[in-house]
Amino acid sequence: MWKTHHTYLVVAAALLATMTTLAPAQEAELLAVLRSDATIQEKSTACRELARIATHEAVPTLAALLGDEKLSHMARYALETIPDPSVDAALRDALGKVQGRPQLGVIGSLGARRDGQAVPALAALLTGADGETVQAAARALGCIGTPEAAAALQQVLPGAAGRNQTAICEGLFRCAEALAHAGQAAAAQAIYDDVRAVADAPAQVRVAALRGAILTRGQDGIPLLVEAILGPDYALAAAAVRAAMESPGPEVTAALLDTLPKAAVERQGLLILALADRGASEVLPAVLEAARSTDQQLRVTALRALKRVGDASCVPALLAAAVEGSAEVAPAALDALESLQDPAVDEQLVKQLAEAQGKTRTVLIELATRRRTTAAAPALWQAADDPNVEVRAAALAGLGAMLDTADLPKLIARLNVIHEEPEAVALDNAIRAICLRAADRDAVATQMADALQAASEPAKPRILQTLAVIGGAKSLDAVAAAARAEDETLRDPAFQVLGQWGSADAAPVLLELHNTIQDERLRSRAIRAYIRIARQFDMEAPQRAAMCRTALEVADRDADKRLVLEVLLRYPSDEMQAIAEEAAQFPALKDEAMLVVAGMASQGINRAELGRALAQAGHQPVELEIIKAEYGAGDKMKDVTAELRQYAKNYRIIFLPNASYNESLGGDPVPNVAKQLKIKYKVDGKEGEVTLTENAPVVLPMPK
Amino acid sequence: MPDKSAFSRRRFLKTAVGASALMAAPCIVPASALGKDGAVAPSERIIAGGIGIHGRGMYDVQWIMRHPDVQFVAICDLQKKQRLAVKEYVDKHYGNQDCAMYPEINEFLEVRPDIDVVVIATGDHWHALASILAMRAGKDVYSEKPSCMTIAEGRAVVETARRYARVYQTGTQRLSEPNHVFCIEMARTGRLGKVHTAYAHIAPWDAAEMRHDWLPEAPEPPKDEADWDAWLGSCPWRPYNPSYVSGGWRGFYDFHTSCIGEWGAHTFAQAQAGLDCGESSPVEYEYVANDSGDGMVTHFANGVRMILSRGEKYWYGSCGERFDGPEGWVAAADGYTQPDVSSPALLSEFQRVIGQYVARTGRSLDHMQNFLDCVRSRERTVANPEVMHHSMTTVHAANICMWLKRSLKFDPVKEEFVGDEEANRLRSRAMREPYVY
Repeated sequence: MWKTHHTYLVVAAALLATMTTLAPAQEAELLAVLRSDATIQEKSTACRELARIATHEAVPTLAALLGDEKLSHMARYALETIPDPSVDAALRDALGKVQGRPQLGVIGSLGARRDGQAVPALAALLTGADGETVQAAARALGCIGTPEAAAALQQVLPGAAGRNQTAICEGLFRCAEALAHAGQAAAAQAIYDDVRAVADAPAQVRVAALRGAILTRGQDGIPLLVEAILGPDYALAAAAVRAAMESPGPEVTAALLDTLPKAAVERQGLLILALADRGASEVLPAVLEAARSTDQQLRVTALRALKRVGDASCVPALLAAAVEGSAEVAPAALDALESLQDPAVDEQLVKQLAEAQGKTRTVLIELATRRRTTAAAPALWQAADDPNVEVRAAALAGLGAMLDTADLPKLIARLNVIHEEPEAVALDNAIRAICLRAADRDAVATQMADALQAASEPAKPRILQTLAVIGGAKSLDAVAAAARAEDETLRDPAFQVLGQWGSADAAPVLLELHNTIQDERLRSRAIRAYIRIARQFDMEAPQRAAMCRTALEVADRDADKRLVLEVLLRYPSDEMQAIAEEAAQFPALKDEAMLVVAGMASQGINRAELGRALAQAGHQPVELEIIKAEYGAGDKMKDVTAELRQYAKNYRIIFLPNASYNESLGGDPVPNVAKQLKIKYKVDGKEGEVTLTENAPVVLPMPK
Repeated sequence: MPDKSAFSRRRFLKTAVGASALMAAPCIVPASALGKDGAVAPSERIIAGGIGIHGRGMYDVQWIMRHPDVQFVAICDLQKKQRLAVKEYVDKHYGNQDCAMYPEINEFLEVRPDIDVVVIATGDHWHALASILAMRAGKDVYSEKPSCMTIAEGRAVVETARRYARVYQTGTQRLSEPNHVFCIEMARTGRLGKVHTAYAHIAPWDAAEMRHDWLPEAPEPPKDEADWDAWLGSCPWRPYNPSYVSGGWRGFYDFHTSCIGEWGAHTFAQAQAGLDCGESSPVEYEYVANDSGDGMVTHFANGVRMILSRGEKYWYGSCGERFDGPEGWVAAADGYTQPDVSSPALLSEFQRVIGQYVARTGRSLDHMQNFLDCVRSRERTVANPEVMHHSMTTVHAANICMWLKRSLKFDPVKEEFVGDEEANRLRSRAMREPYVY
């Protein structure tokens, strides 16, 4: 008879896997499984399915399993979700009958179902001797959350200690939350106060009790909040600050402002952040005052808080701090200045920049750059001609951050006269930044191509790099023309730029260069760059395969052809494997190409054809014996001889069922460490040895 | 508790301020250990521990340890080899042997009241429970995504964080990365016009359908090597197989949230932030007849749509999002040097948009720094529990839509499906004792 059960369970498991809706009639079949001599797995599977579909009909059968050590949990797994009161009755009934883990589970399920009728029975467990039972009952009563549940917990709280105490407090907090949610704030408050009165409660319990006590009191909780902030206990002060963050309203803001000057310095920092979190404008004077504090740390904290609450009135203080402040204060002040969202900040900045000197001027230039204050451009153009090179570079960086393409010619004009770092770098970056923001990339590329024609020798490579940054057809045309030039000062950097081109459209250009240029060195650079594109860029698989074939065919050097193999390995497919077989016809590539073929075969590509491919490439069947195989790192080597032997056939290449050694060889012997596979073997009677890095294709060299 | 730090208070303050300044992050006042036992001064560094630190978790540990005001002191993991691996890394970093190891989470939390923050990077099915237990023990939490396995778990994380006034950050780090912040702010502030559609990337591998089978039973390792019962945690019991504990749990209903949760845990939060729906969830999910949820249209109450997208139609790279409005579109994904935009002119606002975001929120553009800043200031993080819960509710609801193979309506206030009892029954799963919250 159970054969049919087994068959059914296979079907049930499949159905479960797809989670389709089962007809109610199938509930009876699942229950029959539970009443049979089916295996634990089969019964577990049935319970899992019943959790979705079971009705009150299932309750007696499932309840009968509640005392079963092996199935009690799965019985509850099904019972907990059944929307029928008979479940609660069954759980209450089981509560007094089952013991150990099953009883703990029943207690938890009564809590999960918030069964108010279970309170007396659960309350009775609170005074038992078994700690785990007491704790489970306390948590369950907390989930139920009624006044009766709370009363039961409050009654045992004074005598509780250790884990029992924290569980009872957890239960009480849950009750208090439920009561507060139900509008019974006074009852919730009383619970929090009861817990606060427990002298030996651990810190986290006191923190939770204080937070609740403050929040349930509403505005009346402010004195409690202030007392904690000013009190000696840092944990409670932090909890009070957190409670303040959860309490909107001007009264709390006022209380925090009032408390600020009375608090110790480290508490002031905490308060400053809490005030900034509120975002209200009235907190600004207090935060600004703290930003002028003689205490370095408080000052930095306040400066950072100003990012959120500051406005233009803060500029003088922040600017002074940015110019004169310490290594910690100055960057914080500059950050704050950058973040201020008030447009009047830019007006002040521009006004001051016109008159500023020395470090103040440098700071203002950096600030204009970071804020992209376009109104500061005239002052930056002026600074771009400053005698000090650092100022000139900073000004150019700023112009690059804020100008648009209309001003590009003015910067391009400087290319032929500025060649020294850091000014030249700043100029190039500024031009590139503007070009990248241009809506019409081809238009700016044309401007740069024109500039290339007229450029001085030192400027040419920099302009070519800029064209590469801009990208697109116009840029590519200009760089390609430079690569065909007779002028070596133009041609070399052009090849360099093409070698790093950022899109696949350079491939035809590179192939054409390779096929038309006589210089072997440049031909090699061109074909390598062509192969790089095949390796690196997104394209249709046939296009990539065609590029690989072309490169294999036209590349002059074996070393260049070899680069194609990397492409094949990166994009394994039937077609790429076929190309690898073709590559194996080049004598210098034979072994490596066959590794590619083997590597793909280990991933399931054309495995059936592997023997033919290996034979074609000169790998003949051999008599192979694995003597010993170890996998691991350092002195943590695991013997995997047996595992490897089962995969070793009659070729010097061994195919593992998975690309991962860990998966194929019975687990990870040394997690998070690069491992090795060491193999001692015999091929046709000759002994050999090889050490392979983790997950490398398993290819055994022919012993000498 | 006495202050055991070897670092003077002032020295710490200087270090913390300097570090924050370097990262252009809002610096906050001192304190750290938050005065665990009250009447004594707080210790002077943020003391950190880790729970379940594996692959991605090591990245998180390295990330938090790069902050000079953090001292990583302990690892809790039910697998011995992981405990040892983390200890080895931490001890090498500090040049000592001080990183303590704990196999059991409750003991760890109980005996280390000195620890202020924990990094949680267990298997997905432990994220919520570990976070809740840690916050209940007074820790602030940085938890890897996805933050919860069910809607009910997500709600419990929210409630616990509020209850104990804890700082919590989900590891949805793209919410702090400039390219994504730019896209979110461009959409949120109306620079694209009124955005009508967001696209959110779901993982291109796996499926929405989940496995329910059991892997073949293997002998359980000694409890000290790997505590299998604890590894299962609140999930249904099944026999041990080594594959589970070495990452093979992915794809199983009990342990994973499908291809939708794999990346949706990130991208739904990104998309919802840009739609200004970070603290809400869609009200409607349109079923799509494929195996992944690709193309599922979800509707928010304010009329905007978020569409799940598996391919690279709207971006290249991973974990992308895109916002479409009448005046243009913006998109970002991993590997972008700058956001993708419909018009270069939109990019000219990049610095300004980022600056305004920092000014408005005071948040760092370093996700871990944002967490640490909030540990000190007690402010809400960018990926706070509410943000996490609502984006994960979208993940769960989309999964349930795919599992039930029908469109669903959802009430984000009541957090229940409308008129669909079967869907509602999938909002929670009974927890296996004693791994409960």
